[in-house]
Amino acid sequence: MSTVRLDRVSKHFGSTVAVDDFDIEVADGEFLTLLGPSGCGKTTTLRMIAGLVEPSGGRILFDDQDVTWLPPRRRNIGFVFQTPALFPHLSVADNVAFGLSVKGQKKVAIAERVEEMLSMVGLAGYGGRLPNQLSGGQQQRVALARVLATDPRVLLFDEPLSALDKNLRDTLKYSILALQRRTGKTAVYVTHDQSEAFAISDRIVVMNNGRIEQIGTQTDIYLHPATSYVAEFIGANNGLRGTITGRDGEGDDARWLIEASGRTIRGADRPGLVVGQTVVAYIRPEDIEIVDDTAPERFANVIEGTIDRVIFEGPIAQVRVDVDGRELRVDVSGNERLTLMRRDGRVRLGFDEVTVIPAPA
Amino acid sequence: MNALATGSRPVLRVSRRRLVDLVGHAYVWLVLIVFVLPFLTLLVYSFTGPGGSYAVENFQYVLGSFGDNLSWSFRVSAVTLVINLAVALPAAYAIVRYPFPGKGLLYSLMTLPLYVPGAVIGISLVLVYNFTYHLTTSVWGLVFAMAMGTFPLMLTPIVVALKDLPVAFEEAAECLGATRWQTFWRVVFPLIGPGVSAGLMLCFVIVFNEYLVTLFVHPPSVTTAPLRVFNLVRTAGLAPTTAALAVTMQLISFAAILLFFRVFGTRYLKGTYLI
Repeated sequence: MSTVRLDRVSKHFGSTVAVDDFDIEVADGEFLTLLGPSGCGKTTTLRMIAGLVEPSGGRILFDDQDVTWLPPRRRNIGFVFQTPALFPHLSVADNVAFGLSVKGQKKVAIAERVEEMLSMVGLAGYGGRLPNQLSGGQQQRVALARVLATDPRVLLFDEPLSALDKNLRDTLKYSILALQRRTGKTAVYVTHDQSEAFAISDRIVVMNNGRIEQIGTQTDIYLHPATSYVAEFIGANNGLRGTITGRDGEGDDARWLIEASGRTIRGADRPGLVVGQTVVAYIRPEDIEIVDDTAPERFANVIEGTIDRVIFEGPIAQVRVDVDGRELRVDVSGNERLTLMRRDGRVRLGFDEVTVIPAPA
Repeated sequence: MNALATGSRPVLRVSRRRLVDLVGHAYVWLVLIVFVLPFLTLLVYSFTGPGGSYAVENFQYVLGSFGDNLSWSFRVSAVTLVINLAVALPAAYAIVRYPFPGKGLLYSLMTLPLYVPGAVIGISLVLVYNFTYHLTTSVWGLVFAMAMGTFPLMLTPIVVALKDLPVAFEEAAECLGATRWQTFWRVVFPLIGPGVSAGLMLCFVIVFNEYLVTLFVHPPSVTTAPLRVFNLVRTAGLAPTTAALAVTMQLISFAAILLFFRVFGTRYLKGTYLI
């Protein structure tokens, strides 16, 4: 258990910059997730923490120990790969024992530890099997047991669930979190999946082009995206481009007034904007409601549009609404989604002022 | 009408398929006979005694006078395999896992002996042994020649197996605290086992049966089995005892290949260990 600090770490591959001036401090026992699209540098960052990639600049510290130039085997880390990477010629027990056996521990002690680890991941009694006799999810749990057996200082995860099917992903991500909590180990987790990151992290680092876009908790990122990139990446797909025309209210009630294609929208307050600035007002599909003419005054913002099509996805129905030539996506849940299938023509859309996130264009 | 028309069709189709089957089988058998016939002829001839009688004694001759030649062939093969493996393993690892300038050229040079005629290798080695290494009277000269000629056959399957092996296994081992040496022997080597054994088999079959380069570089005291066959054919003509030695060599080569497929054939695929 230890803290992990990256101090101005960067990585260049030839002329491409994979990671640029990366600064982060992971607290002892914290679960930190690097979130971003493929090619954003999150995996490279993780591999630099592991020592599998040498940084072009900067320092990496575990507690106060500079590990920047230590090979992986001297860092005492637990790395879980995208594929389980279990040694196919060794039994499950020998796989879990590998880290202890290369360090020359006694056979009896190893066997005991292997049993303990296998029952911790819920695979007691599977020790005699070969990896390819297990399912993908079981293999990944053996991989977890294998890294935990060596009692590492830091756990590193490189999209460990991306090769599994959806149901398995959902259960296994909570297993990973539970194991991390139980062992109290510092963890750095890499994923491109927002819901995965939200489900298990203490803090999330949103990355883009080798840089940090935002560091924060789930609610920080969800409610106050720092940049338009973050807003779009975490699913605020509806962006209305407009100009700030004024400001209304004080303190917690302060709102920006944004004029977008002839109508004024009231948006949440956020620092750093000025009147006259061009912004994109982001509204999440799940924050927009289809309002009947009965009570439109519930919402500060009501706009009209025409239904293009309705896509029924099961738990939600996706409604594409044409608002003056711009398509807005509205996610409808509950009973309403079932009746929507027969709707077309004009609708009124209502959304709260605090759900409108203005971001510099 | 319709039913009749569709009913008559399959009959025609089946008979055409049978015809194709017949021709196909005939072709395969013909090819087999062409390939196997020379060996069968040799086999029958090796059992022929004086005056056309049946003679197993020819094979006793193999164990007696030829024993020494077979033993040389085995010893030269064994040492050659050890040398080839010791050089090919690190070479293949470097070629596949590390980027370095001139890699393509180096690999091409290493596989060059495959494309050089045996006689050319023989002549150049004779020159080199005479003027540089002074190896003309040592069996090591022969071993070195065999190693050089068959090295690509050892290297290439190992390179292919390593290329097929995902780096994640090595990275996982290193992250678990294994040294490079431990990673290689505990993870990489078992997983490229099929490539290694394929290389060993190819090298063995070639070295054990090699005669052309041997003719150039063998020291006077050493006569391998294939060389003895060649010498006998030249001096005594095609005697049934010579055929017996040839058959024995052929059987040893067969045995090596059978052993290979018996041990590895069903358990390995594509160079990666799958079980």
